[in-house]
Amino acid sequence: MRNRNVRLIGAAAAFVALATVVSGCGSDGGGSEGSGDKTETGGGGDLEAIRVPQDYETIQEAVDNAAEGDLVLVDEGTYNEAVTVETPDITIRGVDRNKVILDGEFELENGIRVVDTDGVVVENMTARNYVSNGFFWTGSDRYRGSYLTAYRNGDYGIYAFDAYHGQLDHSLGSGSPDAGFYIGECYKCDAVIDDVISEYNGLGYSGTNSGGDLYIINSTFRNNRAGIVPNAGSYELCYPGRENTIVGNIVHDNNYLEGPGIDVSLLAQGNGILLAGSINNVIERNLVYDHERTGIAAVPFPEEDASDTPPTGDELTKPCDEVKDDPVPEESPGLVLWEATGNRVVDNVVEGSGLADIASGTIPADAENLKRLDNCFSGNNPAKTSPTDLEALAPCEGEGSGGDFAAGAFDLLVLINEQPPAPAKDSYQTTPEPEAQDNMPDALTKAWEKFEGPETPDVDAITVPEKPTS
Amino acid sequence: MAAALVAARRDERALADRPASTPAGVHPLADKKPASDEPFVAEPERWRGPQGRTGQFVVHCTYSHSGPNDPIVHYAMTGMSHRHDFYGAEHTDADTSPDSMLADSTTCDKTADRAAYWQPTVYDHGEIVVPEDMSAYYRAAPGVDPQAVEPFPLGLAMLAGDQFATKPQTGEAAGWTCGVRTDLSVEPPECDPSAPLHLVLTFPDCWDGEYLDSEDHTSHVAYSAGGECPAAIPVHVPQLTVSIRFPISGPGHDLTLASGEVITAHGDFFNGWEPEGLETEISACIRRGAVCDLASNREEEALFSYTR
Repeated sequence: MRNRNVRLIGAAAAFVALATVVSGCGSDGGGSEGSGDKTETGGGGDLEAIRVPQDYETIQEAVDNAAEGDLVLVDEGTYNEAVTVETPDITIRGVDRNKVILDGEFELENGIRVVDTDGVVVENMTARNYVSNGFFWTGSDRYRGSYLTAYRNGDYGIYAFDAYHGQLDHSLGSGSPDAGFYIGECYKCDAVIDDVISEYNGLGYSGTNSGGDLYIINSTFRNNRAGIVPNAGSYELCYPGRENTIVGNIVHDNNYLEGPGIDVSLLAQGNGILLAGSINNVIERNLVYDHERTGIAAVPFPEEDASDTPPTGDELTKPCDEVKDDPVPEESPGLVLWEATGNRVVDNVVEGSGLADIASGTIPADAENLKRLDNCFSGNNPAKTSPTDLEALAPCEGEGSGGDFAAGAFDLLVLINEQPPAPAKDSYQTTPEPEAQDNMPDALTKAWEKFEGPETPDVDAITVPEKPTS
Repeated sequence: MAAALVAARRDERALADRPASTPAGVHPLADKKPASDEPFVAEPERWRGPQGRTGQFVVHCTYSHSGPNDPIVHYAMTGMSHRHDFYGAEHTDADTSPDSMLADSTTCDKTADRAAYWQPTVYDHGEIVVPEDMSAYYRAAPGVDPQAVEPFPLGLAMLAGDQFATKPQTGEAAGWTCGVRTDLSVEPPECDPSAPLHLVLTFPDCWDGEYLDSEDHTSHVAYSAGGECPAAIPVHVPQLTVSIRFPISGPGHDLTLASGEVITAHGDFFNGWEPEGLETEISACIRRGAVCDLASNREEEALFSYTR
């Protein structure tokens, strides 16, 4: 019913807009100065917007002709465009999430790419079949992506890099060989991923060298090769990843072998929440089940020919901007093991894991090394842990049992060598087509509103989610 | 003022006169700048360490084909060259021109990039080594004002490295490394299988604003120093660094190049970018200082060979 209304409103709006262009402009719609030709849409009463294709034939033209404070409203249709946004503080919105489709036809790179431009909000549309990413913010602060669907894209579904004060919500990322959702190279990121679904990707979530006020909450990560994988490495700046808060998510069945996957995802395969060289994270009240390897594990990320060694002490609290230009060694330090340390894993419901529900590991797996990791585990009620009795050895409150950390510890070298074969590079192009997704409720009525950054979520109020019935 | 003058000269010669209108049988690079008497200084200032310190875009191109051709050094002379491995434009041969590149398909992921990139074939114990792919990094050179960076003109021809070197090349315009490391050596190092051998070529980032090529293929371009281009070669263009991946790792290799010993490492770039696409990437990524792409290190990064 709602869909039908949207269509009718959209059609009415299109008619009004067309009339405006014909009578007012007399050109092909391009070339106006500053804020573009605005149309009052029929659907939203007095909603002011630049309409595509009525005012401008392409999203790119509309965005280029928009000015701060503009809403670009995109009508139903398939747009074979790769849009680059360099206009700050605009909102690009589709009238119908499932019927406004940017399609890269496996030729174009990114659906919408926001480059070094702040305050750009993208909502209520789909991007598919791009060689690189569906939706991409780089060097752009105050970003928000809401009610977005990204599927069958060649790198990431929804991707933020070197970007701060962001929010990704009510969105779906599916069928990418890297991650469905990715936030990388930021500290402190000040970002929230809330109420998203990530499936059939190499990694459900990945973030390299990101964290600090970064929240991943109330979301579902299922049927990826691996679920949530914050990680680290000195091939990009601001290492390591740290201080992510992962609460209230449903993470299940991340063992999907038929889909696409970059090499790292082959290694991470079969794990729900895998802290791969990421430190000082909080993992609480998630529901994690049915993984071939582990439910929640903290493991090192070995980097061959690293650019630098891990920072220590005060260096770890410096904002990314302050360490970006620090010199690195002239010669590679060689192999660097990014240890996953200082992680807090509390009150999660974890079950049905092949090797262990919760785990803490390093190389080599001797007792002293494992103890030094300082990861803690409490209240997860695990059936099996690695090392054995992990919650007694390393509780988050009080003293540990003093038992043997080496007992039942993983030999990660064995696990590393047991990788599934790499899928074909183009396997992302044939991943399952997602079902129609919920529309933004007020797409045709909500006026442009400046996005100032995410609100800090009240994570204490989040409880362990119910297991879905289907 | 100088920039305006340069732009005018560039428009006049490079853009208006050359492409599309080249008479049949006349190669677009036929009007070459005379070779300079000054020695060519090939000492690029290179970005080192992790990516992300400056704006960049990166093009990934798979290996296309090989042939004894070189449309810059031996244009229109099929079979005259040593054997080259080509990337980018899919039909590069001795007759390749800017027009033919623009009309060609590409092995690059950015479809606006129909440029031709090539390097002499690598041999291991006398056997041809088929390369895997290459990454082309486009950035402002260290110290250069990103706002000053202009696109390469269509048809610009450039070489990096010295194919006639008789002793190890200095200056790191061409060098070898493992994986995505940025420290280079003149001899190919022994690499881990997860971070295999790469040839890294850094091309000149200053152009004279006038000629697409020169008799010695170097006198129309130069490397910036301290962020400045030489007065006679004043136009800042992107610093193009090409990193070519070979399936070579471990000990026991005996490598040579089609041009001779490994110290003759070099490569060529012949600009066939669709002009509008190149301008978009330069203005959005380089001038804005944004990281638009990263080399796919994660595909190449260690992990897997850790136990080997």
